Amino acid sequence: MSESKELRIPVEYFDNGWKKGEAVISKSAISFAGVTIPFKEIQDLEKLNYEGKEAIRIKKDRNYYLNFGKSQSQIFRYLAFNLKSDRFAVYFLSPATRGGVVVSDSKWEKGYLSITDEALWFLSASKQIRISIESLGSVEKDVRTVGKKQRVVLVITHVENGEVISSFVLCPETTMDMLEEYIKNIIDRNKPKEALSEIEEQILTMVYTGVDSVSVESILGISTEELNELYDKLVNLGLARVVKIRKEIELTPRGVALVSEIMKKAAR
Amino acid sequence: MPKVLIVDDTAFMRKLLKNILFSGGFDIAGEAENGKQAVEMYKQLKPDIVTMDIVMPEMNGIEALKAIKKIDPNAKVVMCTAVGQEQMVKAAIKLGAKGYIVKPFQAPKVIEELKKVAGMS
Repeated sequence: MSESKELRIPVEYFDNGWKKGEAVISKSAISFAGVTIPFKEIQDLEKLNYEGKEAIRIKKDRNYYLNFGKSQSQIFRYLAFNLKSDRFAVYFLSPATRGGVVVSDSKWEKGYLSITDEALWFLSASKQIRISIESLGSVEKDVRTVGKKQRVVLVITHVENGEVISSFVLCPETTMDMLEEYIKNIIDRNKPKEALSEIEEQILTMVYTGVDSVSVESILGISTEELNELYDKLVNLGLARVVKIRKEIELTPRGVALVSEIMKKAAR
Repeated sequence: MPKVLIVDDTAFMRKLLKNILFSGGFDIAGEAENGKQAVEMYKQLKPDIVTMDIVMPEMNGIEALKAIKKIDPNAKVVMCTAVGQEQMVKAAIKLGAKGYIVKPFQAPKVIEELKKVAGMS
């Protein structure tokens, strides 16, 4: 798209409800509802469901939600390719495994690995995969079979909907070394500043596994108060969030009397 | 309910698996902390399923799988693997492992995989 050529396209934008309007997309910016966002100032971009619609979230100081109807994928691809990022030409396979199981319909794509402040992207003509920085798990080189040949690839893991997903990147060795270092630094930056103790690591693992708090206490042999303190630390480190506050109760004399009656009733 | 022998060198992982399997309706036949102990316990306990860690001292999970398969070619062994050990999983499947679970695992997936191996789903 040249600077002089602008694409005018109907859009729905969210502003206290979905509203209809027109977006103007040029070579360097997108405008809608009196807002102009230069592509290079987009801090983050994501496809998601928002307030009942499939939307594109554009972050520039705040979040904007747009729906382009049938043109959604095309516009998203255009924006993704124009984000301000560090971009590397690679071959990628994403997702390669999901929960440890090989994703059989995934294919190697020629495209880019693009790194923005908030996400890592796999970009090709047909795929624009966003992996948020905070969901990144690990990066390391490993040998994989690529087209019947054993090749060194970069294995990047991240977590999506509670599952570990791995993606493979194939590129020249020097680029791979640099990418490994680069992504490792990003992952390290996002790790908690304070090292976790063994018991904290175990709690984190158990919560991921789906073990309830009572079982966590029983497995570790700790009290509710001790567990609450450990939970608080994990929450403060940004590794977990509170979803439910458990209540502990004891019976009043009226409650105790009622239990006696319940037992008598059961014995009749 | 199927009896499971849990094999892992870390006490915490054994406890965690025991908790998951017990709440999923499995009986726990026993626990072993290395491959060598697992082979001995397999002979004694004749469990219906074995969950087998791969990297362990004394005898690793692949060697233990081989030994158990020698004793009982119908043994149902499910490998417990960490992300990045796909090559070892491939080797284990070739040697007759019936399935695998990937650490860190989620309880419903573990139950699902073991029920599948036990022929309960």
